[in-house]
Amino acid sequence: MSTLPATAALTAPRRPRRGGAARAAKGALGVLLLLAAWQLSVPLVGLGPYFYPAPSDVIAAFGELIRKGILPSYLGDSLWRYLVGLSAGATLGIAGGVLIGINRRASLMLSPLLTFMFAIVEVAWIPIFVIWFGYGVKTIVLTLIYVVFFPVLYNTLLGVRTAPQILVNAVRSLGASRLQVLRLVILPSALPNIITGLRVGAGFAFRGLVFAEIVAAKSGIGYLIFEGTESHQTARTIVGMIVMGLLWLAIDQLYLRPIERATIQRWGLTTEAGERA
Amino acid sequence: MLKLPLTATITILAVLLVYFAAGALGAQRKLAPLAPLSDTRANYRVALDFPPERFHQLFLQDKGRMVGVHGNVVDMMDVEPAALRDIARQYWVSSIERWSGR
Repeated sequence: MSTLPATAALTAPRRPRRGGAARAAKGALGVLLLLAAWQLSVPLVGLGPYFYPAPSDVIAAFGELIRKGILPSYLGDSLWRYLVGLSAGATLGIAGGVLIGINRRASLMLSPLLTFMFAIVEVAWIPIFVIWFGYGVKTIVLTLIYVVFFPVLYNTLLGVRTAPQILVNAVRSLGASRLQVLRLVILPSALPNIITGLRVGAGFAFRGLVFAEIVAAKSGIGYLIFEGTESHQTARTIVGMIVMGLLWLAIDQLYLRPIERATIQRWGLTTEAGERA
Repeated sequence: MLKLPLTATITILAVLLVYFAAGALGAQRKLAPLAPLSDTRANYRVALDFPPERFHQLFLQDKGRMVGVHGNVVDMMDVEPAALRDIARQYWVSSIERWSGR
């Protein structure tokens, strides 16, 4: 029992996408037009670089941050915190979702508490974490764990609860233990939901990272955004914002989307075009 | 389907490898005039290509006792040999020389 019946139609190869280069060129053109409009608007607005930096100021600030070693170091710090927080939050979320999904007693005990906690946004926790753990990595990682935990947990729970009962019964009737049912049916069928939860959690974590670094760090891209404004170097703040955007784009396009697509094609219910049914 | 994440990971690891290798080679070049390195704590003058900012000062404070800044040069006391190697690995450090401490 290595695959679900619903995946049988998924092995058909996807039709190759046409015009990928043309789409990328159009996207690049949009960015260039925005940059040109921004640069041209600077003399019209007539404000100093502190209020309204030009793209050329931002490019110069980017070069300076690289030359001075600030950007690579902050980028490394942010990515490390992000990876640790995301991994720990996802692990706890998956474990919690599976536990609540398969154990009725755990579900009854934890569901109200989790619903209550879900309503409390991470921003409210940061001051408490700062009091308990001080400024720095612990507070940031805990914030990220909190942010990632809930979307992963609820999506995992959904995946576990919607596992095809007919397959569970079939495996049970063949004498499978509870662990085998979990490993052979429930987890594979929940995988697309888990991956979707991870993708949502990864996005939330990225926003949480910026906020946590603004409040509780002396390094990182979030801190760069904050420090740039504090030191009247607005161009640096914009560099931080652009780096954040590009970083998320890279994570989403290079990792999350392909992994989600591959998981859905392998384990999920999809149409011929490879989209989720 | 997972070719893209794999290629991205390999590229990132290759870039990191080059970055750290370049740092190690740079450190060797910067520390060559100080050979043989002291086994104990010592005082050094660390030169940058620009006046140090808060980021650089925080980094250097973590590696020893920062006692003064003159333009692009930072005076440091009680720097452990391992910390000196960490400093030398940074590409924004242009040179390091021994300092009497006075």
